[in-house]
Amino acid sequence: MTVIFNKRDPIYLQVITHLKKLIVSGELRPGTEMPSRRQMANQMKINPNTVQRAYSEMEEQRLIFTEPNKPSRLTEDPAVLNQLKKEWLNQAIDRFVSAIDPIDMSLEELLPLIQEELSNRKKAAK
Amino acid sequence: MIELKNVQKQFGRKKVLNGISFTIEKGEISCLVGVNGVGKTTILNAIMNLTPIKKGSITIDGKPLVPELYNNIAFIPDASISLPHFTVQESMDFMNDYYDTWNVKRAKDIVKFFRLNPSDKLRDLSKGNQAKVNLLLGLALDVDYILMDEPFSGIDIFTREQITEVFSSYLVEDRGVLITTHEINDIEHLLDKVILLDEGTIYKEFNAEVMRETEGKSVIDVMREVYNG
Repeated sequence: MTVIFNKRDPIYLQVITHLKKLIVSGELRPGTEMPSRRQMANQMKINPNTVQRAYSEMEEQRLIFTEPNKPSRLTEDPAVLNQLKKEWLNQAIDRFVSAIDPIDMSLEELLPLIQEELSNRKKAAK
Repeated sequence: MIELKNVQKQFGRKKVLNGISFTIEKGEISCLVGVNGVGKTTILNAIMNLTPIKKGSITIDGKPLVPELYNNIAFIPDASISLPHFTVQESMDFMNDYYDTWNVKRAKDIVKFFRLNPSDKLRDLSKGNQAKVNLLLGLALDVDYILMDEPFSGIDIFTREQITEVFSSYLVEDRGVLITTHEINDIEHLLDKVILLDEGTIYKEFNAEVMRETEGKSVIDVMREVYNG
């Protein structure tokens, strides 16, 4: 797992964003056992205290849960997972709209362009 | 915790440490940063009592640092701590004979981790591999505190990457680590505490993650402000 961190945002937030992306994309399945904070730190080459912080934050958001004496696992709660997808989508839309805002284009003009990009990506993925 | 309080040191008339106070906590990686000649190595030497201090105090877990307590600290200097005609294995055997805290199993793990060959003579090793042997001899001790002087100086980028991996590994787990460096770039995301030195005083001390979170600044951003400002 190679993650490139930027130097100005808190690393624990970057770790959370990275893991959320793996969850919404389905690369991390619901219920998956999480690596220990030491394993994760070693994989991402970051400070274990940072991973600890990311894990506690994700626990608070109910994305992961820990039973006594067991490794942490990803949630299987559909409500939490749906909420995460929604949040991810809202952020993506927010970034997209901010980026295209300076160009004066209507939704009707944009839609076919987005559709074309989507189908190009699907083709490229195959 | 190792605690320095108002540590002062003079060489002749020149004050090299002028009231240095900070702590090294277990489970944290702290870093002394500053250009050459600001007193980084003098601070490590002062903690190890290699250069007695004039004023101030240094305590470990609340107790004054007396000789018996030094077996709880590993000091990894910039220069080789073994002999050039020794092999890696002979260097480890020497440590095993001399130090009760030498951990044979961990030493083996580190040799593997660094991909060192135990039968190589130190004088035949590259500078990078010599630095790894130096780290090996310090990290394999079962101690709570590790001091490293310039572990990255004059070392190629790939060796640096390997050495950097030590800091996120179990090799330093739960230990209190203090490193000195002027090359912060590769390691700033690994640090807990950063202590910026200038002319024997502490300019600024901060937690790197808190700095990013509250001010949106990287360690290098802060250094630029302090040293160029």
